Amino acid sequence: MTGKIIFGIFVGLAGGFATGAGFVAFLTVLGVIPRLTQLTKTMKMIHYYEGAIIAGVVAGTWLGLQETELSLPHFLLIPIGLADGIFNGMLAAALTEVLNVFPVLSKRIGIQEKIIYLLMALVLGKIAGSLFQWIYFVDL
Amino acid sequence: MAVVYIRMRNRVQAKGNQTVRIKDIARIIGPEEVITKIEEIILLTVKKEDKNIIVIDLAQVIMAIRKVDPTIEVETFGPSQTIIEIILSKKKMSYLSFALVWFLLFVGGGMTIMNFHVDVSMGEVHQKIFTIITGKVEDKPLLIQIPYSFGLGMGMILFFNHFFKKRFNEEPSPLEVEMFNYQQDLDRYVIMNENKENVRHLDDR
Repeated sequence: MTGKIIFGIFVGLAGGFATGAGFVAFLTVLGVIPRLTQLTKTMKMIHYYEGAIIAGVVAGTWLGLQETELSLPHFLLIPIGLADGIFNGMLAAALTEVLNVFPVLSKRIGIQEKIIYLLMALVLGKIAGSLFQWIYFVDL
Repeated sequence: MAVVYIRMRNRVQAKGNQTVRIKDIARIIGPEEVITKIEEIILLTVKKEDKNIIVIDLAQVIMAIRKVDPTIEVETFGPSQTIIEIILSKKKMSYLSFALVWFLLFVGGGMTIMNFHVDVSMGEVHQKIFTIITGKVEDKPLLIQIPYSFGLGMGMILFFNHFFKKRFNEEPSPLEVEMFNYQQDLDRYVIMNENKENVRHLDDR
C-alpha cells in the first residue's frame, strides 16, 4: 500500500515536472513576457512576473482538477475573459511573427508601407472567427 | 598627398539610364578640392541588362579614384559595398492583389483560431470556469467568451505595438524588427551573389 502511494506521488510529480517545464519553455520561446515588460518599461519587475505565471498555473491546475465552486458574482467573468483573450492574442501574434509570413508576403505584393492593414486583417479575422464560433458555431 | 575618408552607403536607389557617380554611393571626407574632384567620378551607367540590382565593391571605387589621381590616399570605414537598387518603373501596387491577400488573411485568421479553440477544447474550459466562479452550469458562457474574443484582438495589437497608425511607444515593434532582419538577409545574399569580386569559379574565363 505504502509502495503504491509513493509510486503514485512519484508519477504525479514527474508528470507535473515535465508539463511545467514544457509550459515555461513554450512561453520563453514566444517571448510574450519580455514583450510585456518592454511595453510597460518594467524590466526590473520581471521576477514578480515569473511569480505571477507560476501562481496562475498552480491556481489554474488546482481549480481545474477540483470540483470547486466559488459562487462569486457573474460580472467577475468579464475581466477574466478579457485577460484570457489578451494573453491568448499575444501568444497568437507571437506565433504569427515567428512564422515570418509578413515580411515575405509584403515583399511579394510590394506593400511595405501598408503592412499594418494586413495585420489588421488577421486581427479582425481572429475576433470575427472567435465570436462566430462562440455565438453561432457551437449550436450547430 | 591628400588623405580622404570614404564611407560606402548601404543601399541606394537609381533610375534606369542614370550615371552613377561616387557621390551617389559614398560619403567622402577630406580636403575640399580633392573631394570635388573625386565626387564627380563616374563609376557606371545603369543599363537595361543590369536587371534590378548592382553591387559596387569598395575595390572598384578605390580603383576609379586611383585612375584619376594615384597620389590620393584612401581610408575606408563602414560597409565595404553598396547595393544599388534600380527602379525601372515605379511599381504600382495592385489593389486587387491587396484585397485578395487581405481577404485571405481575414478568413485564414478566423479559421485557424476556430480550429485552435476546438483543438484545445476551449469551450469546455470556459464552461468549467463559469461553473467555478458562479456555481452555475451554462452551455454558452458568453459572459467570458465575448470579452475573450475582443481581448484576443487587443493582445495581438499590443504585441505588435500598433493601433492602426498610432503606436504606444517609440520602440520598433517585433514585426518591424522581423522585416529589417529579412531585408538584411536579402542584402547579404545579394552582396555575396551579385558581386563579381566575391565569387570566382574555376571555369570563369
